[in-house]
Amino acid sequence: MRLLLVEDDLMIGESVLDLLRAEAYAVDWVKDGEMADTALDTQTYDLVLLDLGLPRRDGLAVLRRLRQRKDRTPVLIATARDAVAQRVEGLDMGADDYIVKPYELDELLARIRALIRRASGRAEPVYEHQGISIDPVTREVLVNGQPVVLSAREWAVLQLLLARPGMVLSRRQLEEKIYSWKDDVSSNAVEVYIHGLRKKLGAGLIQNVRGIGYMIPKGKA
Amino acid sequence: MSLVPGHSLRARLLWFLLAAVVMTAVAQALIAYRTALAETDEIFDYQMQQMAMSLRPGLPVGAELEDRFAAPDEDNFDFVVQVWSNDGLRIFRSTARAELPQRAVLGFSNVQARGTTYRLYSVAAGSQVIQVAQDLATRRQMAGTLALRTVSPIVLMVPLLMLVVWWVVSASLTPVARVRRQVAEREADDLSELNESGMPDEIRPLVHELNLLFNRMRQAFDAQKNFVADAAHELRSPLAALKLQVQGLRRATDAPSRDLAVNRLSAGIDRATRLVEQLLVLARQQAGSEVDAKTTAVDLTSLARHVLSDMAAAAMNRQIDLGLAHADDSVVNGHEEALRILIRNLLDNAIKYTPPAGTINLAINCQDGKVLLTVDDSGPGIPLADRDRVLDRFYRVSGAHGSGSGLGLAIVKTIADLHHATVSMDDSAALGGLRVTVAFASAR
Repeated sequence: MRLLLVEDDLMIGESVLDLLRAEAYAVDWVKDGEMADTALDTQTYDLVLLDLGLPRRDGLAVLRRLRQRKDRTPVLIATARDAVAQRVEGLDMGADDYIVKPYELDELLARIRALIRRASGRAEPVYEHQGISIDPVTREVLVNGQPVVLSAREWAVLQLLLARPGMVLSRRQLEEKIYSWKDDVSSNAVEVYIHGLRKKLGAGLIQNVRGIGYMIPKGKA
Repeated sequence: MSLVPGHSLRARLLWFLLAAVVMTAVAQALIAYRTALAETDEIFDYQMQQMAMSLRPGLPVGAELEDRFAAPDEDNFDFVVQVWSNDGLRIFRSTARAELPQRAVLGFSNVQARGTTYRLYSVAAGSQVIQVAQDLATRRQMAGTLALRTVSPIVLMVPLLMLVVWWVVSASLTPVARVRRQVAEREADDLSELNESGMPDEIRPLVHELNLLFNRMRQAFDAQKNFVADAAHELRSPLAALKLQVQGLRRATDAPSRDLAVNRLSAGIDRATRLVEQLLVLARQQAGSEVDAKTTAVDLTSLARHVLSDMAAAAMNRQIDLGLAHADDSVVNGHEEALRILIRNLLDNAIKYTPPAGTINLAINCQDGKVLLTVDDSGPGIPLADRDRVLDRFYRVSGAHGSGSGLGLAIVKTIADLHHATVSMDDSAALGGLRVTVAFASAR
């Protein structure tokens, strides 16, 4: 999952960046409105964490431009502006959720998960298929009732495939989503993670569509 | 329309106009009456004189001529004619109705007889005295009729006049009613201007002032709104950072990441502490501006030297060349501690926003009874549009990535105000960045 963090406060930015990365999100961090515009123009993200009081261009202006481009990327506004009118304005302008600083990290993460889940067209939080149950909140993966431990990157790949069951994602798409700008991308890394996942979860879960990419079949809740 | 000339302009106008018209009519009636009375007096006196003269040839003694005079002159039946002999015997009386006392006074006189006042003219003719008299009520009655005739057109005009005035006043007050409607119809937060066109000259200044007031209020509201938004951002951000830093610490699993988290948390606490300190300084200075009026003579130049040496280390840490460019000896009246805070905040601000390897110059110049404290820097400067607002609490120039509290220049402004000094901002000609000038009145 690739996130764009738009935050001008260095201390907040640093902390959020680390905490999100620890959750296996690939995060790009921009510190002003114009940079945010550019990033959103050139890259697709699974979610934007948007501050409003930004230098150079206000967060709301960034949001308006994003929606004018018919971009449906989920936007979570995280700001110190707490007046009801401001929240209403933010949501009406196209934000999907609004959280007021200072917030609890757990709440932020839960809202991020909810937005990503909704964007992928799913309401139920736990994915179950062929004896495999995957809970994105606790990151608990059970194979026939037995817990399995995944590495952060493996989890990131699994999460991406889970986000849209039945949809094939190319290696390139997976790479883009699990690495941020600053990460070095090794050529066959995705294959390595897929291999690891298959080993741990059984070969049946992640299917290879030759010449195109990988997918997880549609499960049942 | 209220019956009492209260606060209605229209009612008051009508009442005063009515009063004026009535008073004019009364005065005119009075004058007309007086004039008419004087004229009738003159005419009738003359008539009486003529009548007496015509009797002068004399009457036979003992002759009874009552009928002779009464009959041919019916119009003058008001007149009473009596003829007396020298020895006090009345030899003629024109009418039985009136009996006048014999009067020795010749010429005109007024006499009271039987409850009325008579105008009496006596003339001596040989051995007889001829008296002609007239009841004065007749004259008054005639004068009254004349006066009434003069005044009646005015009285008839009054209702018409009132109607015209009513209409003119109503028409003139239409713009006022329009303004009233405009104001009444607006929302509580609508402070847009009223339309001044079509207003009478008497009312336009009022509407104009109202618009100016609306403008000032709008500015005040905007400033307040901005302040609240800025304050929310500036006060919450350090807390948000702290909260995240604590959560980072809690999630740290190994020693290096724990160390990093602790360092970040400690920096976050420093930042929050600084914010609180700056808030307290600001609050103290604002309170001081009302309470503490005692000032002393402060050697600003030596104070500036002290502060400069205190700040040198901070500047060096950022490879900034901080120095005193010019220093006239200067003394200002003020509070030493507050002035120290002012200079420190100015330098602190310059150090914070000047990139590494930059230059900051402090200078003190005395000219024309003023002491000018200037701080020049080679930083990015402040755009013209932001210069008014950077002195506001919590305002931050967009694009600035500083870690300040947003209160530094607000503190400078507060302390300057306390010293009746002005703060101005220009481009620094020498260094290309910002120049902040604080102009004090010299204490010399």
